[in-house]
Amino acid sequence: MLEKLLFKNQNKKQLYIAITGAFLGMTFLLTSIHYLVKINEYGKGNDILGPNTIVVQKRVSNSTSLGLTKTDFTEKEIDKLRKLPFITEVQPVITNSFDVYFQTNDELVPYFSSDIFIQSIHPKFLDVKTENWNWSPEQKTLPIIMPRDFLVMLNTFMSANGIPQVSDDIAKQIKFKITLKRKGKKEAVDAKIIGFTNTVSSILVPESYMEYGNTYFSNGKEQLITQIIISGKENQFGKIEEILKKKGLAAKNDQMIVGRLKSIVSTLFSVVLGISMIAVFLSGLVLIQFLQLLISKNSYEVRTLMRIGYPPKKIIHLFRTYFIKIFGIIALLSAITFFIFKFFIDRIFSSGGLNLSTEISILSIFSLCLAYFLFIIVSQKTAKKEILAEF
Amino acid sequence: MQIKLENIMPNPLRSIQHGKESIWGQTTILEPQTKILLNASSGKGKSTFLSTVFGLRNDYDGSIYYDDKNIKSLSIEEWTNIRQQRISVVFQDLQLFPKLSVKENLLLKNELTNKKSESDLLNELDLMGIKDKWNQSCGTLSMGQQQRVAIIRALSQPFEWIILDEPFSHLDEKNAQICMEMITQEVKKENAGVILTSLNDDFNFNFDVELKL
Repeated sequence: MLEKLLFKNQNKKQLYIAITGAFLGMTFLLTSIHYLVKINEYGKGNDILGPNTIVVQKRVSNSTSLGLTKTDFTEKEIDKLRKLPFITEVQPVITNSFDVYFQTNDELVPYFSSDIFIQSIHPKFLDVKTENWNWSPEQKTLPIIMPRDFLVMLNTFMSANGIPQVSDDIAKQIKFKITLKRKGKKEAVDAKIIGFTNTVSSILVPESYMEYGNTYFSNGKEQLITQIIISGKENQFGKIEEILKKKGLAAKNDQMIVGRLKSIVSTLFSVVLGISMIAVFLSGLVLIQFLQLLISKNSYEVRTLMRIGYPPKKIIHLFRTYFIKIFGIIALLSAITFFIFKFFIDRIFSSGGLNLSTEISILSIFSLCLAYFLFIIVSQKTAKKEILAEF
Repeated sequence: MQIKLENIMPNPLRSIQHGKESIWGQTTILEPQTKILLNASSGKGKSTFLSTVFGLRNDYDGSIYYDDKNIKSLSIEEWTNIRQQRISVVFQDLQLFPKLSVKENLLLKNELTNKKSESDLLNELDLMGIKDKWNQSCGTLSMGQQQRVAIIRALSQPFEWIILDEPFSHLDEKNAQICMEMITQEVKKENAGVILTSLNDDFNFNFDVELKL
């Protein structure tokens, strides 16, 4: 009876407009937050180096080939890059100044060996525990990080020899041997892969091992910094790309493509997020305005109910419940539409080669709940204020 | 419940010259179970008296006490309890819900305390000659019929006082008498007091005290 008295025969045009606005806003809010999270997560875990990390070197031109311009970095140049607001970290990549010989040392894989280059980078760029990424002369096994291309190469080699291909985990079980060489001096150590990277093209070793090699096996040549490793802020890859171009620096193209793609898609979803936040806010305002209008149109009924003995709390509760139902319907419809959107968007990304994680991001669900509870709190406060004013 | 009016002067009546007998500006005590007739011509403040005593307006000087408690200090919960259980009112403008039927208007009030059954309410409507209006919306009833619905609604709660603001103004003498009889019986049952405001007509109301405005 109370519902009939207060909510029936009302002009609901404004309500339907606000519901539509809130529904669209909430749906796009959910979708944009979900994909922003997923795109930022993209690339994490596959690479032992962070997804926003690139290794750069100076672009090699005819003049550098003729020795007219230098290809190494000075401390001043590195410091300048460090000061840029969109760059979080810059460190030199240390290269070996000694001869290194690499070979397989496992019965399970065919033998192969090669002279190689090794490099080391600051541990803060690595997603690895410090105790696993260390070496001392007493240590029998040297942890190494392999370029992912190596695994591809190894699998091609295995397959050509009729041996089953290996996964990341199996590759980590294979024993290798690394030998440091200098005239008349040799020192070998067992090596084990602890991770893979697409960012660096050579085998990575701990800094302590590089220092050891450079101290005891150096060929006497001056150590030049020809490569640096840069970590950029999330979704600001465009700026990094710009500065690389300006300073004549080059990075591996696939790193650039992923970074560029992430930046573009993230920017796109950030714009959608901004618009949907405005839409949710405005439609929320319209809904609250509708609540005020509803109470104001019912001011005689509300006042009379309280005069004949109805507790204001009960009337506030009625309005709150009415709006909880409305917001509940909006949230439910938005969630369902989001799942439908997600199904299609995931397929579009997947067909474009971007295999994002399909798990629902907790942040998007949290944002839906937050928006829902904010609506409830604001409507409760508004109803209380307006109804008590009639007492 | 004793109601004490201490030097009450509503702001809208301040500029009017009040007689020596007028309760405005005086201290008046309304003892429980007293039957009071408040007789005054138009504009003397009968409805103002009702809304002031019932706590609907606060624009007055002086103090009103319910059992020694100043009504300006009453909480919302206390007022709700008073309006549900202790003071019932028939407003001059009736304050029914025109979109709701007679049945809904009465049940809406009755369900707060469940004082009466649906058949009790139907019997009362029958006595007042408007039983056939049970499902008709109040907005479509005549003023006299609405007045009778408002009276039945006021009787559908427990009360220590019932305040009736010109409750028979649209009723003929016969219907007014039927209503008066019903009110008297209910007041007796509730052992309550009555304040009846009227325009120089007592409708055979057996009052104990007559107050002037």
